[in-house]
Order: sequence, then C-alpha cells, then structure tokens
Amino acid sequence: MYGRKGYQLVKDFASGEKGQLKPFNSKLFDETVEECDQNHHLIQSLIRKMQQEGLDVQNNRNADHYGALIHHLSLIRNKRCLMAYVYNRAEIVRDLAWRVGLELLDLPSEIQEKLTTLEKEYFKNHSIALKSYMGKVGIELNVDMVPPKDPYIKVRVVEDIDEGIVLSDKTTNFARHSMHFLKRTDAEPYIARGQMEELTG
Amino acid sequence: MASNSDLGSADFETLASTSDVELLKRAWRNEKAAPEILPYEAALIERAKGQIELVEENIEDYVENGIDPLVVSLYQMDLDRTQFLLRSYLRVRLLKIEKFMFHNLKSEEAESRLSEQEKVFAKSCADDLAKHFEESVLLKLPENYQSVLKQSLISEVDDMVPQPHLDTFVVCRSKNFVSLNLYEEGESPETVEMERGDLYFIRYKIVKGAIESGKIDLI
Repeated sequence: MYGRKGYQLVKDFASGEKGQLKPFNSKLFDETVEECDQNHHLIQSLIRKMQQEGLDVQNNRNADHYGALIHHLSLIRNKRCLMAYVYNRAEIVRDLAWRVGLELLDLPSEIQEKLTTLEKEYFKNHSIALKSYMGKVGIELNVDMVPPKDPYIKVRVVEDIDEGIVLSDKTTNFARHSMHFLKRTDAEPYIARGQMEELTG
Repeated sequence: MASNSDLGSADFETLASTSDVELLKRAWRNEKAAPEILPYEAALIERAKGQIELVEENIEDYVENGIDPLVVSLYQMDLDRTQFLLRSYLRVRLLKIEKFMFHNLKSEEAESRLSEQEKVFAKSCADDLAKHFEESVLLKLPENYQSVLKQSLISEVDDMVPQPHLDTFVVCRSKNFVSLNLYEEGESPETVEMERGDLYFIRYKIVKGAIESGKIDLI
C-alpha cells in the first residue's frame, strides 16, 4: 500500500523515548525514498499516456488523471514523513548542543554512534551558529540552565577529569569520587557531560 | 528609602515595578509564556548588561577591600539571579527562533522583532537546516518535490513551514483596566473587560496587542 513506509518511519521515531535518539533507520528511510521514485515514474508514464492520446493534461479529468493524482498525493505524504523524520531528529540534535555541549567530542560516544554523518555535520554547523551568537552578544547562554538557588553546590566527581582545571576561584585536583563545594556556574558543564553529579539534600 | 515613609504601599509597588530587574523579569515571563517571539527589549537588555558589569566590578572591589564574605556572597547571589534572568530571556528567544526559523525569516513582522544578532542567528539556523534537509532528503526526491518550504511545485503557498499557534490559551493578569474585543473584525462584537489585577485564561491572539503595549502581563 502506498504511503505505509512513510508512516512506519514516523512511527519508528515516535516509538522512541521522548528526547532520546534511536539509530537512524536507513533501511526504512531508503525504502520510502524508493517509493517516492516509483510514484514519480508512474505519474510521468500516466502523463505521457495522456499526451499520446492527445488529451489536455492540465484540464482533462479521466481515470489516468486521478491515477496520477493518487501517486502525487502518496509522494507528498512520503515527503512529509521523510521531512518529519529528519526534522524531529534535527530537533534532538539541536537540543544536544544546548544541554550537553557545543563540541562534537563533548557528546558521549553512545550518542555519537546514533548520529548519521549528515547529522554530525548539522550539529557542527548549528553549534557554530550558536557560538557566533554568544560571541557577539558576549554572554554564555549554555550555562545557568536552572534558576539559581545557591551560588555554591556540592558535587561528586563521577569520572576522572583531567587534573588542574582552573575554576574561576581556585584550582583543585578532581580525583574520581572526590567531593567538592563549587560555584554552580563552574560545575554545570561537568554535570551536563556526566562527569560530576550534584549532591542534594 | 527611609525618608519616604509616607510613600503609600501602592506607590511603592509601582516604583519597584519600574526597576530594571523587575522589567527584565516581566519581559522574561512574557517571553516564556507567549507562543510567538515578542519584540526584542533592546534598551532594557543593554541596561541590564551594563548593570551586571557594574555589580561584578563592585563585588571584585568588595573582595579586594576585605568586606565581610557573607555580604559579598549576598551580592553574588543577587547577581547570579539577574544573570540567570538575562541568560534565560535570550535563551528562550533563541529556542523560539530555532523552532520557527523558516517562519521568522518569511514573515516581515516576525523578523522585525529580532535583534541584529538574532537575525544573523536565524539566518544561519535556517541555512543549516535547509542544507541538512537537502542532503538527507530533498536531493533524493524527484525534481518537482525538492523545495524545503513547499510540498511540491504546484503548491501555491508555503505549506511546509511550522508557525506559532496564536490561538493557544495563556494565563494573564491585567495591570490596568482594559477592554478587549473577543473576536476578530467581521464577527459579532463581544468585549471582555478586565479590571486591574484580574486573572484570565484566554486566547493569546486576543491579548497580544495589550501585552505588547504593556497593559497585560503573562504568567
């Protein structure tokens, strides 16, 4: 049935957890593109047929016209499904730039694996746009994501972090499992990348 | 402040509500709750940035002059809050630009609401996404179906551009007495009258003008 592939593709995206990426379903994606091509060939052959019969393609309303229309509608529907699939994934990619980090290397490898080459490219380009905006405005926007309650928070180091990171008011050795009392703005990037966790309560 | 002990509490309220931090808070709240992007508060943002710098310098001076760390940390906390407001305000706007990037560039009205830097950002955003669309989908489709904005060549209008839903409902509080027309022109006229301080749950479209002129705040 025409249009089913596109529907399955969108459903494949929708069945994932909200805000989480699944691996790009290139098999279904390519099959949908393939169906678009088929639709297009059939439209053209129907139009050719009408031309050979000497009919006015624009205004004639015979069976072939409606046949071509069905293919056209199927093609449009598939296009919308393909675009929706790419668009919604792109939305998650942008979200990663905001929440996790503006460099591709900042992203955990299990997320990187799920991105296609084109999506990685898009991530880079979008990060450049964001960085250039922040540069011009002179304000970093990807820190301070939650309203501040206390300027200092308690954190625990989860992963080994390179020694000697200079924070705005001190340098420390961040050995794994060590606990620190840091300025929230300093700790946020590490928390976003999962290298530290905030201790509450 | 102490010299004005006869200042009524209502007057004090109006006075307090004109401080830049309060204005920023208002702009931020409205921006967060509105479905579409609102006009950029250029002058306010410039002032807020200036004040943040000033307070930052003051805090450095306090630290150097050995003022009680507790006092300094109170100033720091206040600064952090203002900075959060500013960042969050700009951030909410960028997220809206990302969401409606093609719409923002297409409609002159929406574009005029952006700051210069936001326009640049919106432009590169849209270019990047269009490029991504082309490489992943559109170039693989038949020629007549390759437009980002239109479903196919025969579409007369751009029918693939997501737009903000202006019909969505918002919660708002009026600051003055306002009378609003509930329906668009041509439909049967019916007005709603809001007293100062009234809370309403209402379609965004109806209060849109009053929000921009500052008579109503979104919450």
